[in-house]
Amino acid sequence: MAEDVVALLMRQHGDIRNLFDEVEKTSGEARTEAFRRLVHLLAVHETAEEEVLHPMARTAHPGAEKVIEQRLAEEKGAKEILSRLEDMDTDDPKFLPELLRLRTEVMHHARAEERYEFPHVRRTSGAAQLATMAKALRAAEATAPTHPHPGVETGTRNALLGPVAAIVDRTRDAVRKVMGR
Amino acid sequence: MTFNPLEQRGIPLDRQLRTWRELDVEPIDPDHCDPYTRCRIITMNGIETEAVMFSHQFARHCPDPEVKRQLAQVRYIEQQQQKAVNWLLPGLASVLETTIAYEQVAVDLTAWIARSEPDPYLKQAYEFGVLEDFDHLYRYANLYEMIEHRKADTIVEGLTEVMPGRPTKFHHRHPEDNVRDPYDRAAASPLSKLHALTVMSAEQQTMNFYMNVGPQYMEPIARQLYQEIALVEEEHVTHYESLVDPGETWWEQLVNHEYNECYLYHSFMEQEPDPRVKAIWELHLNMELEHLRIACELMRRHDGREPQEILAPELPPVLTFEPNHGVIRDLLDTQIDLTTLGAGYVRDAHERFQRLQEQIHGGEEPPSERVMAQHREQFGGEYRWQPSGEHPDAASRERKE
Repeated sequence: MAEDVVALLMRQHGDIRNLFDEVEKTSGEARTEAFRRLVHLLAVHETAEEEVLHPMARTAHPGAEKVIEQRLAEEKGAKEILSRLEDMDTDDPKFLPELLRLRTEVMHHARAEERYEFPHVRRTSGAAQLATMAKALRAAEATAPTHPHPGVETGTRNALLGPVAAIVDRTRDAVRKVMGR
Repeated sequence: MTFNPLEQRGIPLDRQLRTWRELDVEPIDPDHCDPYTRCRIITMNGIETEAVMFSHQFARHCPDPEVKRQLAQVRYIEQQQQKAVNWLLPGLASVLETTIAYEQVAVDLTAWIARSEPDPYLKQAYEFGVLEDFDHLYRYANLYEMIEHRKADTIVEGLTEVMPGRPTKFHHRHPEDNVRDPYDRAAASPLSKLHALTVMSAEQQTMNFYMNVGPQYMEPIARQLYQEIALVEEEHVTHYESLVDPGETWWEQLVNHEYNECYLYHSFMEQEPDPRVKAIWELHLNMELEHLRIACELMRRHDGREPQEILAPELPPVLTFEPNHGVIRDLLDTQIDLTTLGAGYVRDAHERFQRLQEQIHGGEEPPSERVMAQHREQFGGEYRWQPSGEHPDAASRERKE
């Protein structure tokens, strides 16, 4: 059976939540490292959704445009918190409360997608379409490590991941290649 | 501390109605709450739902319009209580997460009651049932990881273990064999009556929940697993409701319901760490004291009896949500292969059991087995969480390929 993009996205929501757990439970070096992976996965996930999912969901039914607008507004809110977090030391006492705010925003956004967007995508897309979208998402996912790379030093690792804007660009390229755009 | 609800004054009924603002409770945080706070919420939702449905049934059998009006008034407040309690659950949680919490309730509530139950026949009924809920937790946990990439331990947090119980495929018994013998209302300890009512209400809520949320899933295996387990919940409700003496009058049953609500709100108030939730348990206890007083009044008037004749002189020790790893492991070791025959329990797969098994499975593996096969295929193994060690039953240990 071909992979289904909706199932993949749901699992990615779980992966994101797992990374939030990890950031909350660690400290020092380990927290910085887990937070990097979280930021990376969030960037990849949101970019892939913007490229693959939202355009499809937009045409699902009259009024879908409004639903997507709400999702984009949530994403914007999350991005604002995220940029504040990025400038902070992960052991700053203000880091954790801010992270929890981000977690709530991201969870809210994910559940809203699961309830109001995913069913429409499944209803209106054919199996082949869902499979192509899944492939695009897999390509995007390949650029995001969810597990740490043991033995790699911080400097190298950060260079490896790069700034968020670069991640977004790379993800977009990978997704567009598969989608044939 | 002794607490006799018959001697306490509650909030007068005409001051119990809440505004929308008061009903608009702030939900708990699904990622940072005490798992047992969520369990207490789910339990009290089941208790309030039973209170409401019992009152409706009573009204439908009651020819006296004055009593009907009295029931309607209390019931309206109970509906508000149900709303305030169940709306503590967060919209952020998925249906499967809530399902796993329901099974955690079923395991730790039933295990505690089995431990505290004085009557050996009733105790056996709880011990038998708990191993099935325990298995449901394990099946849903594997489904949860497949669909949401999350481990059930992030919900139950090691308070409840996740591993096989009595395999779900063997829960499908002939309906005749699900009917137990009732306790004797004249001889049974008041505590036994509260236990039966509590477990019955919790299982009934679980049955209602699964039968309604199951089709919300799109994934075929999820839809199928909910169907299968929802049908087992029908068996559990039959099992537990038949423990209650059907000779209890409506008035007597009403008093038992209200007394039980006092008992549970009092218990949960005593152990609740979340101050916001604790305030709700306390408020509801004070409302229930008045509901109990009204029920006792009705019993005196219409049954011509004193409620003290059927109630304990004071509340029993608090019903507590706490880990039951040892209790469950002992039962896994000794009762995993039990089934029912008539109102009793046997080890062998008797003819009536086997016939139903053949009919319902139709020669194929049921969803509860297929969910495991799919999980193994996707993850190369099963999801289990066994902080207290390997499975006590050698045959239930995970086989590594």
